[in-house]
Amino acid sequence: MTHFKLSPKQKAARVFSYLFMALCVLVALFPIVWVVLSSFKTNREILSNGLQLPSTFSFSGYKQALEMAPILKFFVNSLIVSFASTALNVFILAMAGYVFAKKKFRFKNLIFGILSLSMVIPSTALMSPVYTVITKLHLYDTKMALILVYTALNMPISLMILRSAFAAIPTELEEAAYIDGAGFFRTFWQVMMPCAKGGLASAAVLAFLGSWNEFTFALLLTSSTSTRTLPLSLSYFTSQFSFNYTAMFAAITIAVLPSIIVFSIFQEQVCSSLTAGSVKG
Amino acid sequence: MKQRNTGWIALFLAPTCIIFLLIFAIPLVMVFATSLFDYRLLPRTFEFIGFSNFIKLFTQDAKFLPVLKNTVVWIAIHCVLHVALGTVLAFILYKKPHGWKFVRVTYMIPNIISQSAIAMIFLNLYNAQYGALNSLLKAIGLEHLQHNWLFDTATAFPAVTMTWFIFAGYTTTLVLAQCLSTDESIIEAAKIDGATSFQIDRLVMFPLVKRMIGTTVIMAATYMLQMFSMIYITTGGGPGVSTANLPLYLYTTVKANNYGYANSIGVVIIIVGFITMTLINRLFGMNKED
Repeated sequence: MTHFKLSPKQKAARVFSYLFMALCVLVALFPIVWVVLSSFKTNREILSNGLQLPSTFSFSGYKQALEMAPILKFFVNSLIVSFASTALNVFILAMAGYVFAKKKFRFKNLIFGILSLSMVIPSTALMSPVYTVITKLHLYDTKMALILVYTALNMPISLMILRSAFAAIPTELEEAAYIDGAGFFRTFWQVMMPCAKGGLASAAVLAFLGSWNEFTFALLLTSSTSTRTLPLSLSYFTSQFSFNYTAMFAAITIAVLPSIIVFSIFQEQVCSSLTAGSVKG
Repeated sequence: MKQRNTGWIALFLAPTCIIFLLIFAIPLVMVFATSLFDYRLLPRTFEFIGFSNFIKLFTQDAKFLPVLKNTVVWIAIHCVLHVALGTVLAFILYKKPHGWKFVRVTYMIPNIISQSAIAMIFLNLYNAQYGALNSLLKAIGLEHLQHNWLFDTATAFPAVTMTWFIFAGYTTTLVLAQCLSTDESIIEAAKIDGATSFQIDRLVMFPLVKRMIGTTVIMAATYMLQMFSMIYITTGGGPGVSTANLPLYLYTTVKANNYGYANSIGVVIIIVGFITMTLINRLFGMNKED
């Protein structure tokens, strides 16, 4: 493009492009950078001028935040719930996806159609009965409740991704495994699963992100520190940290930073998973 | 071999079906069924009342119609303006200007961190006393424009809208991926034919990515129909119900132990979702196979 001389109109378009890009970067980064910088300021600095840079870099806000609220506990809860629900989700939906993609059986389309319903129902509409079901199962305020609900919430997208992942594997491969004497489960586990790695990774990334960030059902289904997750802990800070702004900013930073770091490392995988999820969903 | 497989197939489907039953199917039936009941705890009531809950919602409940309006307006804003914002950026980035990769990754960050964290950040940004927005207005001498953004009736709705409207990284990522996967020779051919870059965007690229834009519109509608945490954390729906939406209203009704009434709101959410999806599918011709 740079080989040609630019007309004034093209120049204007180029200036607009770069301005627009700069604005998007600013919009995305400014709020986070402001929070991180504020976490190093003293309470008085925060209150006197919201835009001033911190005079010294002190980590005392972080120390106070960790002392005042059980952030690490929430963090561990989030890790347990997210890992467990992701593993459960990907495992059981790989089984279902495999069967839907590769096997013929009665009522296949009917069952698939019914399961697909989960895609069109806004989960927020189900808040009250899900609460009832969880209470009836005696799972209220347990990690198991969240694991179960998150496995379900991430079901539609995983089902779509994994079904097409298994459908893309040539049937000859499966037949060869049968001829070699591998049974149903071994064919699935040792032959098909490795071939569906890409789809499994996409489904896992999306399920993990969904569980890690989920708020509504966590709020509805838990009540104690031993089960509450990181997204909830943040709203807990507002009351807890009412006048210690430094600690509050530090707490937000602690909650946000791991996601940003993990995303920066795995951004290619995350972006391709998102794309896979949308094409198949 | 066939007979042996039937057992395996059933076994492979069972876990998914059980979880579907527990978290989707049974609750879905319960939502529709109990929306016809006066169903509450304390005092324990379970009485069939026909469509009374719905009649009450639409004719007597002073909160419901404003809440429904907010929800619909937010869905419309998100589906049109938010997606347009993300699409414009995608159309800039696919030409691979300097730094396009950096912009793509950076703009995605707010979509990766949790909604509740973004909400907490904005709660502080908008703070009347020390928030960045008021501090900025003060610094450039526009003190008279300062507001208590989230708690002032005049500014609460737009202020809350901004907390999700400006972060269109998801749309950008998806539309950009679609743009980049199109055959470059098509673009080259159009260039040789003398098409300007704006013409290429409008006449060549846009039709190619139209369906993906349709997908992002559906995702935007779903996102807004499920929106809860950011409102709950920033304004709690206030002042009054000026920033409340259907899920938030449903949640407060559940917390008030009024389950039958809450589930009639759930039915409305499902219907609004169904109408929205049908409209979008029609508009983008998503059901046509090609």
